[in-house]
Amino acid sequence: MRRLLVVEDSASTRALVRAIVEEGGALGACEVIEAASGFDAMRLLPRGPYDLILTDINMGDINGLELIQFIRKSDRHRDTPLVIMSTQSTERDVERGLALGANAFVAKPFSALALSKVLASQFPHAGQ
Amino acid sequence: MPDNSGGGRGDSSVEKAREDFLSEAQELVDGLSRDLLLVDQQTRRGESDPHIVNDIFRAVHTLKGLAGLFGAVRMAAVSHELEELLDDLRLGRIELGVKVVDLLFRGVELYGELLLAEKGHAPEPTQAVEEFLFSLGAVTHQGAPGAGGQVAQYEIDSSILGVLTEYEEHRLRTNMKADVALYRIRVQLALTTIDSALDDLKAAARPHGEIITYLPTGSGSDADRIELEILMASHAELETLRGAFRGLDVVVEAVKKRGGGGSRSSQVDATPAPSVPLAPAAAPAQPPQDELDEAVVTPWPSEVAALSPKPVHTPPPAERGSVSPALTVPPPFPGVVHPEAAPGAQNRDLSLRSVSQTVRVDIRKLDNLMNIVGELAMVRAALGRITERARGDARLRGFGSELHRLQRSFERHLTQMQNGILEVRMVPLGQVFEKLARVVRQISREHDKEVNLVITGAETEIDKLIVEELSDPLMHMIRNAIDHGIESREERSLVGKPAAGTVALNAFQKGNHVLIEVEDDGMGMSPEVLTETAIKRGILKREEAEELTTREIFNLVFVPGFTTRETATDFSGRGVGMDVVKTNIAKLGGVVDITSEVGIGTKITITLPITLAIISVLGVEVHGRSFAIPLASVEEAIVLDEALVRSYDGREALTQRGMTLPICRLARLFELEAPPLSDVGARRPSKPCVVIASVGNRRLGLVVDRLIGQQDIVIKALGPSLRSVRGFAGATELGDQRVGLVIDVAALMDEVMASEKERIGVVEGARAR
Amino acid sequence: MSIGTRKRPDRAVARRAADVGKRVEYVAFGLAGEAYAVPIARITEILKPLPITPVPRAPRVVIGVMTVRGRLVTVVDLRRRLRLREAPMDSRSRILITDTGEERVGLLVDEVLQVHRLAEGEIEPAEVLGGDPQPYIAGIGRPEGALLVLLDLRPILDL
Repeated sequence: MRRLLVVEDSASTRALVRAIVEEGGALGACEVIEAASGFDAMRLLPRGPYDLILTDINMGDINGLELIQFIRKSDRHRDTPLVIMSTQSTERDVERGLALGANAFVAKPFSALALSKVLASQFPHAGQ
Repeated sequence: MPDNSGGGRGDSSVEKAREDFLSEAQELVDGLSRDLLLVDQQTRRGESDPHIVNDIFRAVHTLKGLAGLFGAVRMAAVSHELEELLDDLRLGRIELGVKVVDLLFRGVELYGELLLAEKGHAPEPTQAVEEFLFSLGAVTHQGAPGAGGQVAQYEIDSSILGVLTEYEEHRLRTNMKADVALYRIRVQLALTTIDSALDDLKAAARPHGEIITYLPTGSGSDADRIELEILMASHAELETLRGAFRGLDVVVEAVKKRGGGGSRSSQVDATPAPSVPLAPAAAPAQPPQDELDEAVVTPWPSEVAALSPKPVHTPPPAERGSVSPALTVPPPFPGVVHPEAAPGAQNRDLSLRSVSQTVRVDIRKLDNLMNIVGELAMVRAALGRITERARGDARLRGFGSELHRLQRSFERHLTQMQNGILEVRMVPLGQVFEKLARVVRQISREHDKEVNLVITGAETEIDKLIVEELSDPLMHMIRNAIDHGIESREERSLVGKPAAGTVALNAFQKGNHVLIEVEDDGMGMSPEVLTETAIKRGILKREEAEELTTREIFNLVFVPGFTTRETATDFSGRGVGMDVVKTNIAKLGGVVDITSEVGIGTKITITLPITLAIISVLGVEVHGRSFAIPLASVEEAIVLDEALVRSYDGREALTQRGMTLPICRLARLFELEAPPLSDVGARRPSKPCVVIASVGNRRLGLVVDRLIGQQDIVIKALGPSLRSVRGFAGATELGDQRVGLVIDVAALMDEVMASEKERIGVVEGARAR
Repeated sequence: MSIGTRKRPDRAVARRAADVGKRVEYVAFGLAGEAYAVPIARITEILKPLPITPVPRAPRVVIGVMTVRGRLVTVVDLRRRLRLREAPMDSRSRILITDTGEERVGLLVDEVLQVHRLAEGEIEPAEVLGGDPQPYIAGIGRPEGALLVLLDLRPILDL
């Protein structure tokens, strides 16, 4: 059973991601854990390990970039696949995120198919 | 569109996500509306608070994103354009004037219509969207950005700068342009208490400036604590800031500026680090280092070009050799108000706090919880009976008394839980009042009248379900007050009234009820004019009119057919009459009353029960059936002495305590058949009782077979298929799955005591529908 | 405020995965000796009658209200509603509960028969009965030669 950590401050976006992951099956049997903010994520990180972390960039307080940097510095999640969700207008933020160690990004608004593909791409040898 | 079948069965997660979207979007729009009202007030006073415009920008930005994700194409388009307008505003490219505020209000309304369309409750406002986008296009700034000014530069760690999002960087730049000092605040927080610790921190910081970002430092190896480095922009001096955070475990440092000069920081860095100025255009005007403030940001290596804003026009330095850090830079907004002075800031502080500590709950879940509590109450009752049996048995005495103790404890906690859930359902009336503030603004513009809305008692709480149903009736009453009540400016000055009319909304609790008053200082209503209108409309005959009391005359307003001049359609496109308002209030278990004085004003009072959920009732039995009468409406109960009953004109009455009390035999009114003799014989025959009920000024004696006793019950609404049945406010579950109907005393009074004219009015109204 | 996790995927997923065919399930029941049916998706529960409390001055078709696990249900006599012959309740009488969103309505029937899975080809339009069909007849089901009058609940519940 895979574990996906979603970090995103909009409740409905989190719900949408959950729906896409649970019903689309891109990650096989997958448990979705939700964090509503950077702080929430930090509280949940010790309860890992997670197989994949999906995070928004523009969040108040601790933003996605700061979170990525923090995650990459930690022992546990140094190599965990990390995917960014970004709004199209912030290409620069995406570049920064990738430079800080994220593996891929999906632009908002995203379709179920697009999100599924990006998430699945993190497990190239997927045996579902 | 889905049919009515699915009662929650088979909702997919995608549909649930969409529901979340709709409610999240609604919350965002509500927040927008509140912020906009603040902005409106400030703009009238010639002030402005950049924080609020920024918040509005972010809200619209979020709405755009959500709309895109969930396929609400028009909403996304509207958001996109609004975002551009707001961006222009916050960057100072256009001015925040009344016209722009009007546009923003129109935008909020449009969001409301779009959301209704998304929910399937209304058609898509295609035309309105087109018109709105068109008017937006006329206002949005088309040219190159103009705001310029020297950009003060600070030495900020690349580790911080590199993880700022574009938005945060923009905030940083904006503050630097306004020549605000930067501070670094280091703090360690325990993850378990982080929410309240953060609230304290933010509250301490807010009056002094803006927090740009929170950066977690540290290795993350400690699962319980996190270290944060907070970057904050503030006009305040270092010591002031340190004072503000006193008591919180933080370390405040100023971020150093490059070069010499009287900078705001308490330290001067003598060793310039390798650097590139933020604004390339500043190069030609570069005076000697020690004469001008010029600190440097160590940028992210590959991003130098990107860091600089679009070409900045640098005015020549005003005075060389000046040590003052205050290079005049045109602030982005006219008359920037220092945040702590902004009157709205305090309120927003409070609202920010409450938002972070609240939980959004689906009211159906609360209903569910109430049902479960109701079932527990049955269990408690059954336990009570067993306990009594145990106590009565000599062999089980010890066991019995222990059981009794436990049962009492259970009962106490159950009551507490019941009260707790009820409290959760209660929301402050302010929710509804805020929406009305916007309506007042709009209507007064429409009618070109000046109207002040005064609100008191917004914190008065009432059941959420009631609040939902109140906004339409209240909106209609306010519309009437402004439309027909408040006179035009000229008329008002002619009679010596202030040019601006006042509409007052008061709410307060009185015993088991909440009273809401809608009062205006307009022209009031004249009883003579009302009776003439009623006669003209055929509602009254002249002879009848003469017998009416003043109160009854004013209440003619609620008779269907009284106002045939339909007021302009409200938001939902329906014409609404005052009779509908009265019916809607009645459905909530409330009553409406109206008084007025010519030339002075009109006051409408709505009396509502505090909660629809739990009420104390008096159980009664009529012909073997159980009914419940809300205790709030019961004055007393007496035994019926048939000898004292007088009948006249088809009705019956008693003389009681020297007053005439009309009575109503429930068995007759409800057309109940007498139960078979065998049932009656089983119980001791009892004398019928009269339950004296009162609502407002009216009293009515209800004749029942016997009294059962007092009880607290959970009242449930009867479904729409029983809408036509008069006299019942709902039903409740009695023991062993039986149902007791709860009597709607006010409705019975209306029915039984209707004077001939009112009865005609009711009948005509029914016929007209 | 950390957000927990959900352990089980939505039942809807399983249901949808299992049945995507064009057959619709109908529950058949008896009224005055004839067989009628409604889509089972519209029925949330089927019960033996519980104590029903009559509501004074309610429309005749409403027998009364009852409470099921704390929730009120308005009980409608379906035979009266369709103007069929009424019989007193007996051990085979059942109440089919449907949720309109605003209200839970219980339909009293003489007996519940069985569930049929009807394919589109097994449903004939209401006109087949001749004359002007009542608005609440949605069609005629003919599973293996039997005859079922398929009801449209919407007009029936509109009292």
